[in-house]
Amino acid sequence: MSTSSTQTPDLIPPEALEQVGTVVATRTGAVDQREWQRWAVAVGDHNPLWFDADHARAHGYDDVIAPPLYVQYAVLGVTRLDELRPDGSSGASSGNLAFPAAPKRMAGGESTTFHAPCYHRDEITMERRVESIVQKQGRSGAFVLVTWRTTYTNQRAELVAEATTSMIARP
Amino acid sequence: MTQLHFEDVAEGDEVTPLTVTPDATQLFFFSAATYNGHRIHYDRTWAVDVEGYPDVLVHGPLQSALLARAVTDWIGGRGRLVSFSAQNRAVAHPGQELTFGGRVTGVRLADGRGLVDLELAGRRGEDVLMPGTATVELPLRGEA
Repeated sequence: MSTSSTQTPDLIPPEALEQVGTVVATRTGAVDQREWQRWAVAVGDHNPLWFDADHARAHGYDDVIAPPLYVQYAVLGVTRLDELRPDGSSGASSGNLAFPAAPKRMAGGESTTFHAPCYHRDEITMERRVESIVQKQGRSGAFVLVTWRTTYTNQRAELVAEATTSMIARP
Repeated sequence: MTQLHFEDVAEGDEVTPLTVTPDATQLFFFSAATYNGHRIHYDRTWAVDVEGYPDVLVHGPLQSALLARAVTDWIGGRGRLVSFSAQNRAVAHPGQELTFGGRVTGVRLADGRGLVDLELAGRRGEDVLMPGTATVELPLRGEA
């Protein structure tokens, strides 16, 4: 992997680079049983820990718990439809980083460490920083790789999860 | 469902694979459940004419959720997902059969906790679409 060369246009505008290291999103949201269950059935994940309080209690929990990967969705806000990007996506949780020369976006990867379970009506606060923005050269051309570092904390100030996520933007 | 214990697991053991063929209905519900308006998951004209794909795309986060589901199904109610990592390497389209699974790469006792490291993959046939790793904690035999 190389960084941008003379042949490849610079896909990263300076305004985006200025966001590296800064907190680009802070958001608080409630964990809701119905919403995580909607997420779980969309995944086809019928694990009784997410649905059956008796089962969850018999396995050491106080009540049903949210699927670990669900925590990232508990803090989602809303976006006016007339403020969506042309591709229908919302930049709300990523700091509205704009890459006009690389408008095609794809989730890159995610890496999360889980410290505590989430229960119904927990209040989760997310804080997201831009860790890095780099241009790379792939087999199908140049692309931008954006990496965020995110923490999730509950209403008791307990760290629930820490995540590193990335996004790929291509011309 | 019998609970998997730390002592039951050895390096090389397989995570029970999960096979899923996502369809348009599942993609719609996943977009709805994650408040995701991205047109590449439901607007075929956009996906094909604007972004140059042969069809709409299965969400990367749906693939990673399916990979995590294979793990949490395998570890049972007393197992705990400690960490999980997945990378989107290639796209998948609805109607394609995808398999999610992995194998044990290491077992270790740390402060009395039984930890198991896993190497994971979401595949379409032989193609790895989503490599990943996870660490899980399994109960020890004799624990309540």
